[in-house]
Amino acid sequence: MVNEGPTEKKHVKALVIGAGPAGLCGAIAIAESIGDGKQILVVDEGIVPGGQLPKQTHKFFGHEGFYASVRGFEIGEKLVSKATDLGVQFSMQTTVAGIYEDSIVTYDRNNNSVDEYTADYLLIATGASERFLVFRNNTLPGVYGAGAVQTLMNQYKVMPGESFLIVGAGNIGLIVAYQLLQAGANVKAIVEASSKIGGYMVHANKIMRLGVPIMLNHTIVSALGEERVQGAIVARVDEHFKPIPGTEKEFVVDTICLAVGLQPSVELVAQTGAEIKYISELGGYVPIRDENMKTTADNVYIAGDLSGIEEASTAMIEGYIAGYNIAQKITGQDLSEKISTMKDELIEFRKGPFASKVREGLKKMNILFPSGGYRERTQQSTGPNGKLRAVIECPQAIPCNPCETSCPTGAINVGKNINSIPYVDYDKCIGCGVCVMKCPGLAIFLLQEKEDYSIVGIPYEFLPIPENGTIVKLFDKDGRYVADGQIDKVSVNRKEKTHLVFLRVPKGMENIVRHFDLAINSEEYVCRCEEVSRQDVEKVIDSGITDYEEIRRILRIGMGPCGGKTCRNVVLQIIAEKTKIPISESKLGAFRPPVIPLPIDAIVKSRKGVDKDE
Amino acid sequence: MGRLVEHPILNVKVSGAAEHMVFYFEDQPIFALPSDTIASALIASGIDIFGFTEHEHARGFFCAIGKCSSCLVEVDGVPNVRACITPVREGISVRRQIGRGKPKW
Amino acid sequence: MSDVNGTYDVCIIGGGITGTALAYSLCKLGETSVAVFEKSYLSSGSTGRCGGGIRQQWSTKNNVRLAMRSVKLFENFEEDVGMDIEYYQGGYLMLSYDEEEAEQFEKNVEIQREEGLDVEILTPKQVSERYPYINTQDLIVATFCQTDGHANPHKAVIGYAQAAKRMGADIYTHTEVLGVDVENGKVVGIQTTRGYFKCNVVVNASGPWSRQVAELAGVELPTESYRHQIFVTEPLENFFPMMAISFAGNFYMRQAHHGQFIMGQGDKDEKPGINYNVTFKFEKELAEKMVGIFPFLKNLRIMRHWSGMYNMSPDAQPIIGQSDKVKGYFYAVGYSGHGFMVAPAVSEALSELIVFGKTLHTDVSYLNVDRFSNEDVEKEKNVV
Ligand SMILES: Cc1cc2nc3c(=O)[nH]c(=O)nc-3n(C[C@H](O)[C@H](O)[C@H](O)COP(=O)(O)OP(=O)(O)OC[C@H]3O[C@@H](n4cnc5c(N)ncnc54)[C@H](O)[C@@H]3O)c2cc1C
Ligand SMILES: Cc1cc2nc3c(=O)[nH]c(=O)nc-3n(C[C@H](O)[C@H](O)[C@H](O)COP(=O)(O)OP(=O)(O)OC[C@H]3O[C@@H](n4cnc5c(N)ncnc54)[C@H](O)[C@@H]3O)c2cc1C
Ligand code: SF4
Ligand code: SF4
Repeated sequence: MVNEGPTEKKHVKALVIGAGPAGLCGAIAIAESIGDGKQILVVDEGIVPGGQLPKQTHKFFGHEGFYASVRGFEIGEKLVSKATDLGVQFSMQTTVAGIYEDSIVTYDRNNNSVDEYTADYLLIATGASERFLVFRNNTLPGVYGAGAVQTLMNQYKVMPGESFLIVGAGNIGLIVAYQLLQAGANVKAIVEASSKIGGYMVHANKIMRLGVPIMLNHTIVSALGEERVQGAIVARVDEHFKPIPGTEKEFVVDTICLAVGLQPSVELVAQTGAEIKYISELGGYVPIRDENMKTTADNVYIAGDLSGIEEASTAMIEGYIAGYNIAQKITGQDLSEKISTMKDELIEFRKGPFASKVREGLKKMNILFPSGGYRERTQQSTGPNGKLRAVIECPQAIPCNPCETSCPTGAINVGKNINSIPYVDYDKCIGCGVCVMKCPGLAIFLLQEKEDYSIVGIPYEFLPIPENGTIVKLFDKDGRYVADGQIDKVSVNRKEKTHLVFLRVPKGMENIVRHFDLAINSEEYVCRCEEVSRQDVEKVIDSGITDYEEIRRILRIGMGPCGGKTCRNVVLQIIAEKTKIPISESKLGAFRPPVIPLPIDAIVKSRKGVDKDE
Repeated sequence: MGRLVEHPILNVKVSGAAEHMVFYFEDQPIFALPSDTIASALIASGIDIFGFTEHEHARGFFCAIGKCSSCLVEVDGVPNVRACITPVREGISVRRQIGRGKPKW
Repeated sequence: MSDVNGTYDVCIIGGGITGTALAYSLCKLGETSVAVFEKSYLSSGSTGRCGGGIRQQWSTKNNVRLAMRSVKLFENFEEDVGMDIEYYQGGYLMLSYDEEEAEQFEKNVEIQREEGLDVEILTPKQVSERYPYINTQDLIVATFCQTDGHANPHKAVIGYAQAAKRMGADIYTHTEVLGVDVENGKVVGIQTTRGYFKCNVVVNASGPWSRQVAELAGVELPTESYRHQIFVTEPLENFFPMMAISFAGNFYMRQAHHGQFIMGQGDKDEKPGINYNVTFKFEKELAEKMVGIFPFLKNLRIMRHWSGMYNMSPDAQPIIGQSDKVKGYFYAVGYSGHGFMVAPAVSEALSELIVFGKTLHTDVSYLNVDRFSNEDVEKEKNVV
């Protein structure tokens, strides 16, 4: 039975709902100001505090004051220990089930217990929930939300599948794609219905150079499979986002990951009686609030994605603003200086082009944020030939500046407004590579032209870490194979785990090569019956044998039970790539019967029938 | 499908075999770690069909945080258990839920 | 008022079950110059928040008759009105935990049987044999009527509204009635947020707001609204066909079409006034009580919890009729928590009163507001 006997209501000075960056910073601000964290309870339904943070293995944008260039899960850990040190109380795996007329009710699923609270102040920071997408068979096992994939992969360390199609090219879709690749999965493509990539270009570049196509103006129309996902059909869309018949393409994937946006989780705020309004620029229904993050309900404050879908950095700042305001009321002391420092931070963060929706949305609540005042042009020069130096490929004005703050020689300039596009001062740059390893967008490379070859230094976050001298395949920024190269040396960064790999690339390719692949590691099976890999096929072709039937006899490709159904075209494709002879011109090879394996007993049985008739 | 064995960023070291637990899914023994939920243990073992709807459509997990009801299973005869947020316990018997779940009294 | 937006014979205030059923009944009688005014959306009042139970086991002859007539109309609903409203005659099981009440139950059954209603009296042993999932501890007696049942209130309102529209009635949603125009003691029109409408008859079917809406015409009605809460669990396979209810035990519960369990109870401490908040106290008390009686509930989770208003009259029975002060002013209010089930019969009777000046099917004169001028009002006992 749930909870024997009547529950007694517990009282706290401040109850914080949600232990994401917003809630944590709110709790920290209150605890720090009132000097007694024990009066503050943070309730969160997650396994560990941190909200979205523990699921994020990538480095965050922003500036150092708000943990830029620190990996999401590590930011979470830092905030939690800060709060815990201040004495803040946590109740995890506990959901706030409702804000009732008579109490705030929590459900602790681990102990299967219900508790009742009253609080002088409420800080609601419940974040956002994922949007869903409607397409045929969208409930099949294997269709998962991006958050679910991240939870499973990065928290439980379990992979939900092997090959993925991702729907949505906003930051979440792009990041999940990158995280999946890091975990060793195959990402077939990202489809995006709109005509441009919604997320940051630096995130998109990270996965495009790994060979993941981003298909703009495309959507998913159907998942394929009877009892679980075995594939997906995507199609081009018209200007009304309607699929265009005849443009369908099939992908063989076992998992479809939906990353189609977030909506603020307003249920609890609504239960307090606070006013809620639909503001599409902020992500849907959001609570009305003032610039101190106070809602229209007495003593109820909000912060973070709940108040408008944005970023961890702004969530933290809003958390502080709400927290200091609550602390000010609890203690009666004047915290206006701290509050206005935080407000200034917000102004800087929100000046850029990616904040334009948030600015528009907040305007509808009569909260105004200025825009502009940052550099929008990218640097044209890639520096003096022959010198080892940094080049930055960070083309959009985004609120981020760890490149500037990390450079030991002060060679990189972003400037006062962190949305500005960074520039390198090539007189100062010494090619140390610190910025390459710091940049959360993995958008900085090192270049140096040598006599016989060039050096390209690449940020690298995969396994295994390559050995010096290894021959590798080189890829351009779109993931196209361009040449072979060699590992020159590797600077291993054990602590932060973004390593710097120096490649020797053919001269003239230093501005082209942006990724490499260790040939040995990429076991792409061409023929799954006989387990023949792409490398095996390429080796035979390289030895001068380019006829399909000959390759077949050497490698036994197509001699397995599938009768060549899966591999024939792939082999033809490889032949075409390697020999530059189009598939249409190469010899097709024979199609020998039977096209399906025929059971002998069936043949025997039919033989008898024939006999009888005779 | 399966557990991560290596990762460039995360520590994926599996704690010792002594900490493994066993539970049952449709009478088959399944290994689990103490940190597992029913869903993570099943998916780590390659099982992703957790049940069927009234209309016989297969269902697996979806949101992973207990907000949808896609992953309902029967645990020791009790239906409507959310596999994605329910920790594994030694020896429990988990079954695919079909439709709305049978009452237990 | 100079701008006249329309003219109708009958203007109905309230788009709940009463208002829409009345529009439908009037149209059936050929009176199609009818408009319904609803300040929010259809069934936004008590109807859309109610338990949907339909029973005939009442303690007075008149109430039994009214309910039996309603059941007739519910039985023919799909055919007459043209909508499947998930009507299901799974019966009402009335459980008594009180000696005095148990005696009363047996008397009630006598009255009910006299009216031709098929009602069984069950011992605790019979109850637990029939319903092994009910814990019969402390149970004294139970009565069961198979033809009682439940339906989906939303669908019923939509069904009535669509049928009325098809026959020519107009339905104005998101239109609040702000005033009732009375000249020489007679209704002549109404003011609304969509302008002025002329009419000869106004019907107060405004549920929780009945007293305020009466005041618009200077009519006094002795009603007060009290909050009632209700919640619903996640679904199980359908196995619980009836509505289980207890007055002394203070609860009711049924399993809905889609498998969820809907349940509620009354709270003596409620203060009058419109209040749509919910309390956790309610969940605690009701959940604990219900798990004791229906142990299988312990494995379920509460999915949603909401509240609605009971529009109470002094004797817990509806107030139906015509004002003798203002000509053309009719009302059907004060249902005291059981208006959904009787609304079809009430609306039929009211439509007959409006069109013919007298009722043809069911006599509702005992529900006239006059009865409160009597010293001793007899209270209906069978209410939660
Ligand atoms: C894939 C991905 C990548 C991202 N990358 C970046 C990045 O690089 N840089 C950046 O700045 N931002 C990034 N973000 C955005 C950032 O994570 C969010 O903006 C930020 O986490 C919002 O913080 P929050 O505290 O408002 O909400 P959240 O972090 O979502 O936290 C909300 C918390 O509330 C809890 N909660 C909700 N309802 C209840 C309830 N009823 N009871 C108890 N607890 C409840 C939840 O469990 C959750 O822990 C990313 C987001 C995603 C999804
Ligand atoms: C929790 C709960 C459980 C219940 N369970 C049952 C049950 O099981 N069985 C049963 O028979 N009954 C039950 N009832 C009672 C039943 O819901 C009501 O008696 C019945 O719905 C009344 O219907 P109505 O159409 O008269 O009023 P309502 O449905 O309340 O409709 C009145 C309408 O009038 C509108 N209105 C008010 N003022 C104005 C204005 N000035 N202008 C325009 N529109 C106006 C309102 O918006 C409202 O929509 C229950 C009630 C509650 C609260
Ligand atoms: S390579 Fe070193 S010196 Fe050059 S910009 Fe980067 S951090 Fe600064
Ligand atoms: S180059 Fe600088 S501004 Fe651009 S993503 Fe990297 S650190 Fe941020």
